[in-house]
Amino acid sequence: MGIITEKLPCYIEPIPGGSLLLTSMDAVINWSRANSLWPLTFGTSCCAIEMMMATGAPRHDTSRFGAEVARPSPRQADLLVIAGTIVRRMAPRLKTLYEQMGEPRYVMATGSCAISGGPFMYNSYSTIRGADEIIPVDVYVPGCPPRAEAFFYGLLTLQKLIKEGESVRRPGERRKPVLSALPPGITLDQIRAEMAAVLKSDATVNVEQAAKKLEKESQDGQCESADGCCCSRT
Amino acid sequence: MDSANLLTAVAAAEPNAKPREKADRAAVQVPVGNLSALMKRLRNDSTFAFDMLCDHTAVDWSEQGTFELVYQLYSTVHGHYLMVTTSVPRVSPIVPTVREFWRIAEFQEREVYDMFGVLYDGHPDLRRLFLEDDWKGFPLRKDYTDDFMLERPE
Repeated sequence: MGIITEKLPCYIEPIPGGSLLLTSMDAVINWSRANSLWPLTFGTSCCAIEMMMATGAPRHDTSRFGAEVARPSPRQADLLVIAGTIVRRMAPRLKTLYEQMGEPRYVMATGSCAISGGPFMYNSYSTIRGADEIIPVDVYVPGCPPRAEAFFYGLLTLQKLIKEGESVRRPGERRKPVLSALPPGITLDQIRAEMAAVLKSDATVNVEQAAKKLEKESQDGQCESADGCCCSRT
Repeated sequence: MDSANLLTAVAAAEPNAKPREKADRAAVQVPVGNLSALMKRLRNDSTFAFDMLCDHTAVDWSEQGTFELVYQLYSTVHGHYLMVTTSVPRVSPIVPTVREFWRIAEFQEREVYDMFGVLYDGHPDLRRLFLEDDWKGFPLRKDYTDDFMLERPE
């Protein structure tokens, strides 16, 4: 253990109880979480059709991003896609579904209705004005309904969020929700290129580069983590 | 039977039934007092044989102070359609049930009761269908408001 701690000073983190943890585990865990987002089969209206297009149909196959296994049980799902209008009678059921999902759980609100109530915002006796009145939402995907590409853009945003974000050292800490609107002027080809880049970067690991990076960091005595708390040289 | 023959036959069977203008299909309007007798005739008479109640709903004409009740009938024997409408005052919306002629009317009338508050005379189980049992008011009435509802800003 002594040798390892000397060689990799900035990747060791003491955790309560006196044991040590290699903090690069964060990256591995987040990578695996981001690439196995199993969605819950939950759809309440027309956005669900687009979700089926995105998850099920071969043209937009989400299995490329590890999110193809739509689970009918919330206990096996990681991602709750709120696809469609949530009405007052559905709200308690939605909350139950969310609570039945195991941590870490992520929520995507797709379409106007799930974001704000959409066309049913005014003069409606039943429509909940935004699913975030019921449960916390991580990514908003605008559209009425969003195209499958927009859905993917939301999924990629969520993956980025997971990879950058959560740490095993701070379990349960939530990031602020993100609006995953397609930037103006973006084309389908650009989105597809971004998808391809993500797939490529996830699929290949450059060992030499990783080793160099590690060496450089150990020389600098600083790690990349923004909070700067991972160096346990006390 | 085609539309014109059907309307003639209905008029012969029920003199109070008036054909509606501007209708895509054969459509008649009856006073609420004649509704039950006409419906029984339409269901049981072999020349009509309307054995299917496709839809039953209501329209709130709040300016005229009436609910218009709409019955969409279809005959699987003859393949013809007929729309029957009747009007009841909004202050006392009481209509005879047609559940004895079509069993499905039991649920359709429960839905109309749930949304419009139309009362069906003779209905065996007039409860709310979609909304909670303790819901106050009838949300598809034009003058319905509650605390949850958000008014559209002008």
